[in-house]
Amino acid sequence: MGKKILIVDDSNTMRKIVGRSLRQAGLDFDEVFEAGDGQEALNLLATQKVDLILSDINMPNMDGLEFLRQKAANPAIKGIPVVMISTEAGSDIIGEATSLGAAGSIKKPFTPDQVSATLGALL
Amino acid sequence: MDLQKNITDATTEIFETMIMMEITPGDPLKELVTTFHHTVSGMVGLAGTFKGLLAIHTPNDVAKAITSNFLGLDVGDIDDDVKDAIGELANMLAGNIKQAIDTTGKDVTLSIPSAVHGEEYTLNCLANAEWMIMPFTTPSGEFLVELQFEKA
Repeated sequence: MGKKILIVDDSNTMRKIVGRSLRQAGLDFDEVFEAGDGQEALNLLATQKVDLILSDINMPNMDGLEFLRQKAANPAIKGIPVVMISTEAGSDIIGEATSLGAAGSIKKPFTPDQVSATLGALL
Repeated sequence: MDLQKNITDATTEIFETMIMMEITPGDPLKELVTTFHHTVSGMVGLAGTFKGLLAIHTPNDVAKAITSNFLGLDVGDIDDDVKDAIGELANMLAGNIKQAIDTTGKDVTLSIPSAVHGEEYTLNCLANAEWMIMPFTTPSGEFLVELQFEKA
């Protein structure tokens, strides 16, 4: 059955680029959903099942770290793996994301090969 | 801290990896530029032990070429897609350059990126900040990457 991926980023440009990189990486998925911040993502997850979430950290309204906190507190969605996509991968912020349950991180800028290497084991 | 090298390396990596556009760095400008014409500027604020601004200033034709390569589509006018792309470019530059000035990753916070566009506008940041402006040449023209900061 086809896998579903949710991309959470306030930048429409970055959502398009991440979606294109997923296709170029040759990953096994069928459908991509998009959300502009953490709250939009939580709203979407209330009605839509996905297999993997890719999330920015620095976003308005609800950032990626608060999204991780609220997702972890919701038994219905806490098991969905989240990979952070951020300009700050490798920093303490990513350490905090990991402590909140993030399954991995991808640093911007990134190549399709880096996306494939990080996400391949999660799909 | 070699700001010229940090800005050049970060900018080159982003253009090679995600925009697929050849760029050539020039020599740092000797005078601050505050007024821009027919340009799109993407900006990210820095707060914490260093405060200031990271900005990229792209003339309209360069902004459209960058967005076209970035998104893989034809771009006609300066629209929300172009402003979002240049803002995201500033975001990636700020994140990469931040690593050079904030090695722990927790002393400097980045703002949400923003972008402005217009026939003529003026940008002023900090009165007594250190600054570095690097020009880069693309097949569509020249753009500037600017870092202004002071220690809090």
